[in-house]
Amino acid sequence: MQVVYYAFTLVFFFFAYSVLNWGLNVQFGEAGILNFAYIAFVAVGAYVAGALTAGPPAPGSNESYVLGAHLPFMVALICGGLAACALGLLAGLIVFRRLRSDYLAIVMISLSLVAYDFVTNYVPLFDGADGLSGVPEPFAGVFKLNANSFIFVFDAFSAVVMGAMWWAMSRVTRSPLGRTLRAVRDDQDVAKALGKNVFRFQMVAMLIGSFYAGIGGGLIIFFSGAFNTSSWTTPETFVIFAALIVGGVGNNLGAVLGSLLVPVIFVELPKFLPTIASQPGLIPEIDNMVIGALLIGVLWFRPQGVLPERKVRFDNLLAERGGCW
Amino acid sequence: MTAPAGTGPRFGEEPGRSAPDGGASRGPAVAGGSAVGGLVGREEALRCEGLRKAFGGVRAVDGASFWVPAGSICALIGPNGAGKSTAVNLLSGALRADGGRAWLFGREVTGWPAHRVCGAGLVRTFQLSRELGRLTVLENLMVAPLNQLGESLFNIFFRPRAIKQEERRHLARALEVLGAFGLYEMRDSYARELSGGQKRLLELARAVMAQPRLLFLDEPMAGINPALVEQIGEHIQRLNAGGVSVLMVEHNLNVVEAICDRVVVMAEGKVLATGTMAELRAHPEVVRAYLGAAQSARAAR
Repeated sequence: MQVVYYAFTLVFFFFAYSVLNWGLNVQFGEAGILNFAYIAFVAVGAYVAGALTAGPPAPGSNESYVLGAHLPFMVALICGGLAACALGLLAGLIVFRRLRSDYLAIVMISLSLVAYDFVTNYVPLFDGADGLSGVPEPFAGVFKLNANSFIFVFDAFSAVVMGAMWWAMSRVTRSPLGRTLRAVRDDQDVAKALGKNVFRFQMVAMLIGSFYAGIGGGLIIFFSGAFNTSSWTTPETFVIFAALIVGGVGNNLGAVLGSLLVPVIFVELPKFLPTIASQPGLIPEIDNMVIGALLIGVLWFRPQGVLPERKVRFDNLLAERGGCW
Repeated sequence: MTAPAGTGPRFGEEPGRSAPDGGASRGPAVAGGSAVGGLVGREEALRCEGLRKAFGGVRAVDGASFWVPAGSICALIGPNGAGKSTAVNLLSGALRADGGRAWLFGREVTGWPAHRVCGAGLVRTFQLSRELGRLTVLENLMVAPLNQLGESLFNIFFRPRAIKQEERRHLARALEVLGAFGLYEMRDSYARELSGGQKRLLELARAVMAQPRLLFLDEPMAGINPALVEQIGEHIQRLNAGGVSVLMVEHNLNVVEAICDRVVVMAEGKVLATGTMAELRAHPEVVRAYLGAAQSARAAR
């Protein structure tokens, strides 16, 4: 039974990281936005979703945070996505007006560091480094779940969320909007010369990606039941980027494969390995080295990723006209 | 661009014309009494006055003023460093001018960003071909039409049929344009896989797909073989016959002479002269600043 429990935990992380990777993919893979602060958007979604369901801190407890409201978890989850969007809007207004690619990436890293320091040190807002604990389990009241059965139900719920997010993202990336985002990614000057408002399209990509980040973060906090600021730092962004690059940038299926290969197999799976008593931190460190080596290997030998961006054809539209115009 | 207080520089070759009414005017402006190239009374596709741009201490464009008659093919020529490409970048909104004003089909576009200028009918190409390399040739064209329904999130989820219909229309037109430019067989290739000449054609085809009223071509003949030069020249003439005005920066004077109705000569950031190529060959300042060297090189060939 324990193995099944582990397996379903890994399945959950596969679902959650797939959602996160699609969000990063629409920003980086489609619109070319190097958002090295991506984890901050995930964290905001997680925190807002968790706090809105948790309710206010108990009187006399040491906890101190805002937004506690006892909201239903579905409402809180969507609010988490929208809160990440709000952060995306703010970040977009700061960076997209003037900055491009590498400079934008540097500013995004700076923003994430500033946000992390602020959240960690300003205790009244998000309870500092202690974070949030005791986030209620979704469906617990409805199905009278225990710790094990919760995983099965929540996995099923996450699968539905993942399916809906996949459907929506596929619509976006296969649409003329997706095409225009890729034009912006390839050459902003050309896109502008073709009448595309690059700022607007980058903002759209930023908001969509942020929403996905917030929803993914919300799923994770409902699953884990706690929010700890130290779990949402720049190296986590690196893991999501590594997953996308290994799986295939610009390909939603590649993002799914990357979620399986990097965060699930190399980050979450080793957590279930027995700890080496003399070197308790060894396995996580080896993990990081392996992910780094994997990233280097992929960039060296297959920079397009395992599943490269797919060539867009218009066969279905052509077929409607008998293949000739 | 900031508007000079009613002190727009006068054109070297043309009688002065009062500045349009501060940008409020909409309808097409009509050129005043110039007799150059038989263009009297033609509507203006583009007019700029007192255009200025400096990079540090270098005045790349220094009070340039000229106009492009609607329906004409106009060349912008001059020695290297004359400010031609900078002028194109300023007028297309790619760069922000330090001063001067610009009108497109009678509508002031001073200070407009590139995407708005394009929306007003001006589409440009670049000095070095800039294909969207990771998009296919067909996608390069499909991305070009303005204000596509499918670029809105709302429409993607709530008006999919309307998007599909529009896509069908754009696809039909894109394939037609690709056929006209000889790129139909390459439609599913990535744009980065094309040869240099094909990339030139693709850039022109993509601009056509955006349905311009005024087309800016920045050295469209640079670095391509003579057969393709002729082909691109024919495309430009065909577009012009279809009602598209053209302003092209070009060093190939044979092409300029063959297809351009009117030529604007720039030197040191200023407009030196305007006229037909035949008139300019007899213009002493133009010969001294530009054509002398060019004609000598031509004679040597």
